[in-house]
Amino acid sequence: MNGSSRQSGSFEREPAKRVFSQELREARYHFKEGTEEKSPTYVLLPTGERANRVFLVGTLTEKERKGDQNMFYQARIADPSGTFYIIAGSYQPDAMQQIARIDPPAFVAVVGKPSVYDTPTGAALVSVRAESITAVDADTRNLWVLDAARCTLDRLDRLGSDDDSRKAVEIYRTDPVIYRKMVFDALAQLKL
Amino acid sequence: MDIREMVERISQKIASKGKTPDKKKIETKLRRLIEEFGVHANEAERTVLNELAKEYSLSSITAKSSDMKEIGSLLPGEWVTIEGKVVSLSTPPTPAIAQAGILADPSGAIRFVVWSRAGTPPLTEGSWYRIESAVVDEYRGSPSLSIHTGTTIAPSDQDIPIIPEIKKISELKPGIGNLRAKMIQEWEPSHPRMLQVGLLGDESGTIKFTIWKDSGKEPLELDKVYSIYYAQVDEFGGRLGLNLTGAMYVPEEMEIVVRSGETVSGALVHIAPGSGLVKRCPVDGCNRVLSRQNYCPVHEIQSTFRYDLRIKGVLDSGTKTYNLLISRPVVEQMTGMSLEAAVELAENNPLGMDEVFFKMRDLVQGRYFICRGSEMEDRVLVKECTPLAYDTRNLADLLNRAGGAP
Repeated sequence: MNGSSRQSGSFEREPAKRVFSQELREARYHFKEGTEEKSPTYVLLPTGERANRVFLVGTLTEKERKGDQNMFYQARIADPSGTFYIIAGSYQPDAMQQIARIDPPAFVAVVGKPSVYDTPTGAALVSVRAESITAVDADTRNLWVLDAARCTLDRLDRLGSDDDSRKAVEIYRTDPVIYRKMVFDALAQLKL
Repeated sequence: MDIREMVERISQKIASKGKTPDKKKIETKLRRLIEEFGVHANEAERTVLNELAKEYSLSSITAKSSDMKEIGSLLPGEWVTIEGKVVSLSTPPTPAIAQAGILADPSGAIRFVVWSRAGTPPLTEGSWYRIESAVVDEYRGSPSLSIHTGTTIAPSDQDIPIIPEIKKISELKPGIGNLRAKMIQEWEPSHPRMLQVGLLGDESGTIKFTIWKDSGKEPLELDKVYSIYYAQVDEFGGRLGLNLTGAMYVPEEMEIVVRSGETVSGALVHIAPGSGLVKRCPVDGCNRVLSRQNYCPVHEIQSTFRYDLRIKGVLDSGTKTYNLLISRPVVEQMTGMSLEAAVELAENNPLGMDEVFFKMRDLVQGRYFICRGSEMEDRVLVKECTPLAYDTRNLADLLNRAGGAP
């Protein structure tokens, strides 16, 4: 119950970024701000923003319990553009207990931290370490698609205008046309 | 005796002549004179200043600065001569300060302090003075005039009428400001020297105010409109607040419609521990939340308590996060669970109050809400919270945006 307790005071919590799975899957570049052990880590999104935390809503299509001593859940959550890979382990007891009680398929909202794994074959895999997972309704999913679309378009509008954004263009050679099409296709799946 | 202060003063005097003084060197010289040779602080400061003036071939550094400044145009770091009226005096916070108050001229007003060591005759409220060679410092983000040993003060026969300019709360800047506002909230003082703390509002917004205990200071009356002159606008962590200790406030027979509170929307991304069903301390006026052992941080173990509902959570717009504090009526309406139902659930469940926390969390977390409430410290006290509705007009707009560009 206190797995994700936070300090109040001058500390300001970072906003959770809204990002479609197709974009998050392309993320490779991750970095740490500061040198201390507890310094926040970020994944640089191809459309040009750093993400320490993401908020996503989609359809839980599959969940699997893994491990014996260190039990954890692996889950797949589909959005209009693809699939998110979610992990909830013993360091995220809230999320683990929540996902245990949700049976796929179901709309779920996830708050979590993205991380990039470099696989032995050289490919990178992006997964989200969930802090919380709750079952939600279709309206919440639709609202999220609009939210993610708006945030992605906002990022594309600012592309190349600040340090993170320029860096993203340099690393990912971001083509705004592809991401605009992704947003359009995602929106087109909702009913007008 | 604060050597750092002396170093600041000396280096500012040098800097005002366009030279870059070595602060380390000034400090070393001062320490040598004061600590090693037992020279009196005033004398040491004068000696070091003269030494440096010679070194930089500055002739009359302590001489009168001839260019008179308007109070409204003073900037921190300046070495100035002004003519102004003492519009307010307040009890100095420390014996090192002989007098503290506010000086004004038709262009504006500034806070001032007279250091005890300055040895200048006391200023009287309501009188005009010519003040030569004072330093403009910065205190809590606002300019402050420092009157020290090098400053000369002479009474002035000036008597221009000063009409303070009333500003909207949203236009206030650090420094001294005048406003017309309504007292809309009174909060629990967090310090024994505090006379009153609360919230003032006008058509443009709200601002926190504090009045410290001082002779003759009266608290403001709730729901009354005041004209407030010479309030000190401070900045704390990017947020402005008013200190009315040295201000004048006059009650007005008028009404102001306060633009209160903020509307924030986003996803509820976090429900903090301590949300759900809580027990409150029954001691009159306390109301603090009891810990699991029915322990009140002030009144210790309590045998009785009052049940209450609340949610402490984080609303996240994608670009900004807000700490929400949601009280019982709003929690009941958001979750559809009444206090009675929550108590019954807790009392008949092996997990007790945790069960209520889990139920409520699963009902609201990850959902989009639009909340209205008043901001206090770094929290939004939510008065109204409704689920955000899915609107296809937004979908149409976004489709155009995504498809509209090449």
